[in-house]
Amino acid sequence: MMARRPTPRASAPGGRVTADRRRIAAGALIGIATAGVLTAVLLPFRPDLSVATCGLVLVVPVALAAAVGGIVAGLVGVVAGFAAYDVAFIPPYGTLVVGAAQNWVVLAVFVAVLLVVTRVVDRLQVARAETARHEESTRRLFELSDVLIADKPLGELLGLVVATVRLAFGFRGVCVLLPTERGLAVGASAGEPFDEGELSAARPHAGSPASLELRTGTSASVLTVPLTAATGPVGALLAKGERLRPAERALLRTYANQAALALERARLREQALRSELLEQADRWKDALLSAVSHDLRTPLATVKAAVSELRAGEVHLGDAGADELLALIETQSDRLARLVTNLLDLTRLSAGALELHREVVSVDELVADALVSLAGTEVAERVDLLVEDGLAAVEADPVLIRQVLVNLLENAGLHAEGGGRIEVSARRAGATVEVRVTDDGPGVAEGEREQVFLLFKRAGNAGRAGIGLAIVKAFVEAHGERVWLEEGTAAGACFGFSLAAHDDPPGAAPGDATVVG
Amino acid sequence: MARILVVDDDAALQKALSIALTARGHEVTGARRGEQGVVEVALRQPDVVVLDLGLPDLPGIEVCRRIRAFSEVPVVVLSAAGDERAKVEALDGGADDYVTKPFGMAELEARLRVALRHRRPAGDGPSTVLAVGPLTVDLVHHEATCGDRPLELTGREFDLLAFLARHAGKVCTHQMILSEVWGPGYQEEAHYLRVYAHRLRRKLGPAGGQLRTHPGIGYQLTGE
Repeated sequence: MMARRPTPRASAPGGRVTADRRRIAAGALIGIATAGVLTAVLLPFRPDLSVATCGLVLVVPVALAAAVGGIVAGLVGVVAGFAAYDVAFIPPYGTLVVGAAQNWVVLAVFVAVLLVVTRVVDRLQVARAETARHEESTRRLFELSDVLIADKPLGELLGLVVATVRLAFGFRGVCVLLPTERGLAVGASAGEPFDEGELSAARPHAGSPASLELRTGTSASVLTVPLTAATGPVGALLAKGERLRPAERALLRTYANQAALALERARLREQALRSELLEQADRWKDALLSAVSHDLRTPLATVKAAVSELRAGEVHLGDAGADELLALIETQSDRLARLVTNLLDLTRLSAGALELHREVVSVDELVADALVSLAGTEVAERVDLLVEDGLAAVEADPVLIRQVLVNLLENAGLHAEGGGRIEVSARRAGATVEVRVTDDGPGVAEGEREQVFLLFKRAGNAGRAGIGLAIVKAFVEAHGERVWLEEGTAAGACFGFSLAAHDDPPGAAPGDATVVG
Repeated sequence: MARILVVDDDAALQKALSIALTARGHEVTGARRGEQGVVEVALRQPDVVVLDLGLPDLPGIEVCRRIRAFSEVPVVVLSAAGDERAKVEALDGGADDYVTKPFGMAELEARLRVALRHRRPAGDGPSTVLAVGPLTVDLVHHEATCGDRPLELTGREFDLLAFLARHAGKVCTHQMILSEVWGPGYQEEAHYLRVYAHRLRRKLGPAGGQLRTHPGIGYQLTGE
């Protein structure tokens, strides 16, 4: 029978000494009890048994005691076995006196055997425990590294490192110090927080050059392990709690190295991500600039040409011609104004400050409103409105949706073949009302449909992209609805978007403001 | 009075140009798409084409190439400022001149005038004596005069002047000039050109202004 030695980690941190004591006491008790029981069992047969046989039987309690409690318990077992043997089985019985010289020899051999057994059993136990501890270390290191392998953001990774270290080594508190602009600062911590005094132990001292080249050391109660990776130190790990065994300390150092590598990797990844984001923002800015410059320059070209013509006195335009040029200047100035509005909206969108004011409105009203904005332009005269009979009202921000319609109509006007009709239709579809703007222009090639809403330069022959459609998409999506470019339309392009239908009887008052982040 | 074809997708600009150019006595037709523009050139044979580079269906340069495939009609390109590469591509592709948006009508008209003046008369064999304003270039005798004053030019300077005179009124890109005058392999050596243009201008004296520099694009020899 072998008692399983409890692993140190199974007990609460700091309970290692108590556990050892308990184990020794248990071994000693088992030794004494077994010696007592065996003596009681053998006593009736004493006359029939030789002195040596009884001695052999009494080796058992010693072996048990040593197996359970180690050498100390084994020695207690030796004393118990010796006493029981001498008193109960070596004549004269009942005393510690040893009678015959032959019995002296038996007793001496008995004690020698007991001592050897104790020693051997204890050795075995120690070796087994050592192996178990080794296995445990390997397992723990494996588990810890497992945590580090996963590709996680820096913050999450730091949290994991401190939590696993605290659990695995039974520390009261663990934290990671990271270099910042103002020196070392706590990046993450688990368990008991560290006070300033404990932290300052790890920080470089005032007046000495700041460096992260810390040495593994123990000051008072805090253990400091440097986290060093390939590119140099990345931080320091601070822990407080029970003093570690040398093997555990080595394990912690190994783990710290792995953690350092993982932290470095996470940091590099974050850097890469940041530079990628910057690059993207740069590209976005380029695209925006190019779109803005194209969209602004187009109406400006007409205004400039018309104005320069009006000012050149030598040409005979006639009243009609001059009037037409003036009208052009007016419509193009309005177009410029709408573009500037779009730009401002775009800025508000990217600043995340767009507020949605939902109201219950009819599609007719929205379209009429949009046509007012386009009054005087060629587009306004070409719109046909087709609204289903008894169509429900919609819940939408009228200002934003007007802008959506204006942009879609303007886009249709730009691309429809000279003077073609533009159709605006609305019909019920489930819980939404779908609005479509169809032109009879050349349409958009299949492969370019997805890019139409992007804020990109008019690439090659795409020609539809620009600020206007980007705004359409952003505004419709701010309502939680969708916008699309219909596929398979025979003639021209058909842009559609959905709006929430409003079915409740009048009286319910929505109009609540929602902030869109 | 000339027949002008305006290829631009923007209805407003189309209309403004039409009013202004008509008032100046020209006959204006319009096209909103590149393909339509090419067809119009073939059908109506205009005297000059005003072509926007940012058309929705075809890149302007492609329109230019398609026109050049069958017609020598002068093409004046409209383009956005800062889009130097598009201009150079269009000029290399056969355009004669460019105007940057936004532009004044007087400027556009002046460019159209230059383009119209240097329109190659159909049927004539290549002339051996070129006249560009007060400047004459005798290709056979390798002699150039400015007014009555003979110009003393080195071989390369003469070649450069002769090339520009042959394409008078047209903006010639650096690449065009270098590969024609210096030969293939010199296309990237724009600084040669700067040096020679400078010398040429000095030797032309008061007529030096006829040699116009288009920064980042090329040179143009005009009659004015």
